[in-house]
Amino acid sequence: MSSLIPDDELVSRFAGHQLDHDSAAHYRGRLERRLLISRCRECATWHHPPMPVCPACWSSDVEPTEVAGTGTIYLAVFLHQGPPAPGVDYTTPYPVATVELDEQPGLRFTSTVVGAANDDIAIGRRVSLDWIDRAGAPLPVFRLDGAAR
Amino acid sequence: MTSTRNPMKGRVAFAGAATTGFVPRNSGRSQASWVAEACIKVLRECGLGPEDIDGVCGSSPSAAHVQAMLGIPEVTWFANPAIPLVNHVAAAAAAVHAGLCETVLVYHAAYRLPWNTAASLKDPFRRPQPVPTGPGPEQIGGSVGYTAWASRYIHEYGVPKEHFGYVAINDRTNASANPAAAMREPMTMDDYLSARMIRWPLCLYDMDVPVDGADAFIVTTAERARDLPLSPVLIQAVALGMAGKNDEEQTVDLDHHGQQVTVKALKAKSDFWIDDCDVYFPYDGFTIITLNWIENAGWCGRGEAGQFLQQHWDADQQRVLIDGRIPVNPHGGALSEGATQGSGHLREAIHQLQGVAAGRQVVDAQRAIVTTGGFFFNAQGVTLQRG
Repeated sequence: MSSLIPDDELVSRFAGHQLDHDSAAHYRGRLERRLLISRCRECATWHHPPMPVCPACWSSDVEPTEVAGTGTIYLAVFLHQGPPAPGVDYTTPYPVATVELDEQPGLRFTSTVVGAANDDIAIGRRVSLDWIDRAGAPLPVFRLDGAAR
Repeated sequence: MTSTRNPMKGRVAFAGAATTGFVPRNSGRSQASWVAEACIKVLRECGLGPEDIDGVCGSSPSAAHVQAMLGIPEVTWFANPAIPLVNHVAAAAAAVHAGLCETVLVYHAAYRLPWNTAASLKDPFRRPQPVPTGPGPEQIGGSVGYTAWASRYIHEYGVPKEHFGYVAINDRTNASANPAAAMREPMTMDDYLSARMIRWPLCLYDMDVPVDGADAFIVTTAERARDLPLSPVLIQAVALGMAGKNDEEQTVDLDHHGQQVTVKALKAKSDFWIDDCDVYFPYDGFTIITLNWIENAGWCGRGEAGQFLQQHWDADQQRVLIDGRIPVNPHGGALSEGATQGSGHLREAIHQLQGVAAGRQVVDAQRAIVTTGGFFFNAQGVTLQRG
């Protein structure tokens, strides 16, 4: 069970990411290819990135909860240059999209969009979650709805 | 909520401001050496010695390092605020007004480091130890954040890239009259539109130019400033505006970020706003920030900043003069004077109100508005008037 791996191993699996006590569960979820977003068990409000209390009601009963991974592109950029990453080649500008998740207005998650031509990736397009491998750890990514898998 | 309380209004002043000028390359000098040069210059221009300073405020090097470097015998207050520069103004002015100290040396080094230019790594002394690894490109923090919100701005308002270009060309034209500026070659719209794309939709000329150099300021009481050699510039109001959702990714939308909060507070706490402003300094670390400041300050409606710049464009001078009168970032801004994180805007505002801006001087400038920083956790502003 990846959820039981010790904290130090979790940190090394996601080298370069800022892990802490509040975000560890989100990253453990990634190891099981589950996108976990923090949700308040008192008032049911979602928030991201993970925080120790619910920003809406201040309850500390916050639970990492799996989302459907469906949503709409809200912001979109194409990197002509960027930080080195395995499998990322900027000779074709690399798309980065912030997706508004269907669970709640304003709840957003950022990643890349795979399996689509850049000309088809635009604000307003519907997307769904998928997973790729990044340096030995699963990375949540999006695919355009209606695109061939 | 926005309070109108402002007991500090008009009671704290800039007694002086000085710059080293800026160079768009690794200078072969330390950050501290630029800070020392700017600090010594402003202290001499104000007729002050180290014993006259009892407060020190700046980001890097630390206030402790700067105190020791300049041999300031004693301070009763110091701080190392984060950039941009109105953080420093707020801290120093509040400390003076509260009586924690009387005369503060405020400094800021613009310095080419890995966070703003990878070319800084050619200088071994600028390399972080060890080189940090990031989480990969799938983030919209930092520079990518403004680019991402530029994509949203274009999506919502359907504006052409030329609207962004006016910001860059205005800055470049203004910089040609500023000997301290790093980039002084004229720029045409064709130059702007054909610049290398860095992160679509923003290109090289949408981003400020990393430089080496420094600015320094003296902040003290209005009474003390009147006894010093240069004309005082009074601080009317300072605001550091931040909205509840202040993460680049989670910011609600273009109508709910730090700029609206900052403008609301400055208007509530100041005696004047844009109708009585003689020179305006909207931050321009990215062109998208400037377009939004112009709209949020109230010069025009949402999505209309580019048209506004076009309407107020002086074709002969190749720069903006609002109503034929009010220049915007007359020093060349971060895009062309250099990426000073707001210290250049503040310094030029002070020089304009002191009447010492030489070939860039706005005739009889009495009031200036400086709105520095971007959208998220760094939107801020200060209103200034001649003392």
